[in-house]
Amino acid sequence: MELKLKELHEKKVGDILDEKLRWNLPLLEKDADIECLLSVMASRDHVWVVEKKNSRKIVGVVTENDILRLLSPTILPKYVFGSKYGVSIEHGTAKKVEDIMCGQLIKCEPDDKVGDVLRKMVNSGLRRLPVVEDGEIVGEITARYIIQILLKKR
Amino acid sequence: MDLQLLLLELGIALLLARIFGYAFERVKQPAVIGEILAGIIVGPFIMGRIFGINFISPSIEQPVDAIARIGIILLLFLSGIDTGINEIKNAGKSGLITSAFDVGIAFLFGYLVGTFMGYDTLHSIAIGNIFSATSVGITVRTLMEMNALHTNVGNLILTVAVLDDILGIVVLSITLGKGSPEILIVKITIFFLVFLAILYGLYKSQGLKIRTNLSRFALTLAISFCFLFSFFAMSMGLAAITGSFFAGLLLSVVPQRKRILNFVRQIGEVFFIPIFFVWVGSSFDFSAFSPSQLSHVGKLLLLFIPMALIGKIIGCSAGAKVNGFSSRDALAVGVGMMPRMEVALIVITTEISMGIFKGAMAHQMLAATILLVIISSLITPFILKAIYRAPEE
Repeated sequence: MELKLKELHEKKVGDILDEKLRWNLPLLEKDADIECLLSVMASRDHVWVVEKKNSRKIVGVVTENDILRLLSPTILPKYVFGSKYGVSIEHGTAKKVEDIMCGQLIKCEPDDKVGDVLRKMVNSGLRRLPVVEDGEIVGEITARYIIQILLKKR
Repeated sequence: MDLQLLLLELGIALLLARIFGYAFERVKQPAVIGEILAGIIVGPFIMGRIFGINFISPSIEQPVDAIARIGIILLLFLSGIDTGINEIKNAGKSGLITSAFDVGIAFLFGYLVGTFMGYDTLHSIAIGNIFSATSVGITVRTLMEMNALHTNVGNLILTVAVLDDILGIVVLSITLGKGSPEILIVKITIFFLVFLAILYGLYKSQGLKIRTNLSRFALTLAISFCFLFSFFAMSMGLAAITGSFFAGLLLSVVPQRKRILNFVRQIGEVFFIPIFFVWVGSSFDFSAFSPSQLSHVGKLLLLFIPMALIGKIIGCSAGAKVNGFSSRDALAVGVGMMPRMEVALIVITTEISMGIFKGAMAHQMLAATILLVIISSLITPFILKAIYRAPEE
């Protein structure tokens, strides 16, 4: 397995992406409403947010952690700056996906080496990165996906 | 100052800040007021008198002073990252108009208070700056309790409060810059050009690959950038807080924003920022209320606090009215914008450290601002609940 992992580190992201998965990415347009988002999140642990329906231009991400904050009774931080602290399901201020998404994405490209991408994930504390080509999402790298490849389950 | 005493001071200051902050949160009041009270207790007039040591004295050479000042810088940095450029872009016309009315009229009221008290122009402008910024945390809490956050009123308050800080800081930079007006204009222009250039660069580099190893240093780099940009602002004759706020705005567009925000929030909230509020409290000088000064201070307080509150009500209500709000809703926006908190305290301490307010006047202004913070935070929820009810759906 050690050898396999070293080999994997040298491979390019584009080479390990499964073409079939490309059509099974959890995508949602940014002006979709919250109920729509929640119904996707009922079975997935994240959603990539795209510009509009049928587009693949990626503009944000919503993860389980973001939703968790919205599910709990509102906790305001000690210092409130910015209006997003007013966004809550409880108070009816979270209306669209773009209200709660994180719009600054850390991403990777098909030409990046898997080892570099993994290091980037560790350094930035993320377990999934979108693979982006010319601003459009073409796949995702997740910790689970890497495990599956390593164990030859893909 | 020796290390032993410093450790004792910091330990007690943090402990009391937390205890008082927590106690205030339990009774649904802002923790910041508790921290200021903790400061008054550890200050020279209560603990200092009992133990005979000058506990956290407000003189410049103290290390606690430096920590508090870094607290200010981090608080504004945090505010900048958290606000973000995008929120300004999304504010819309109604937010911009209301905010302009709001800051304009609040500033004018502050200026009038200064003129009325017989202060010179610089001091009057400085009071105007204290009046400009709103801290909306208490209003957001109240609106949530009233289930009215999703209304037009709630929406406008949130938007305007964000723009307020920015406009307030821009006005502060312009009015309180050091040096002759001609040179100052050039320097401010340079500052904002550099800001825009970096912003443009950051936007452009979104496509550019950031080296993977760099993300490990991103947090340290962010703090370093904040300090350097504040330094740059100071060398352009502006206040350090202007620099750190705009540094925060710049970093709000980078992919690592969320991590930087959490990181700065943590180191700020755990250590530097509570020390700042304790320090403010400990600088509260009871001798400002000595019998010889009493008539002057009384006059100041009677003008300062009501005018600060009324200025916001008139400014914001007028702005909301222009945007087609009903009189009742417009009034609610005005009342909701009354609370002053972090930014007002930061402005007054900055003005004192810039040497605009000196000696007895500095103590009086600080006391007036602290009282304004406490009174405005205490009364706003009551007034807001009395005059406004969310429409039935």
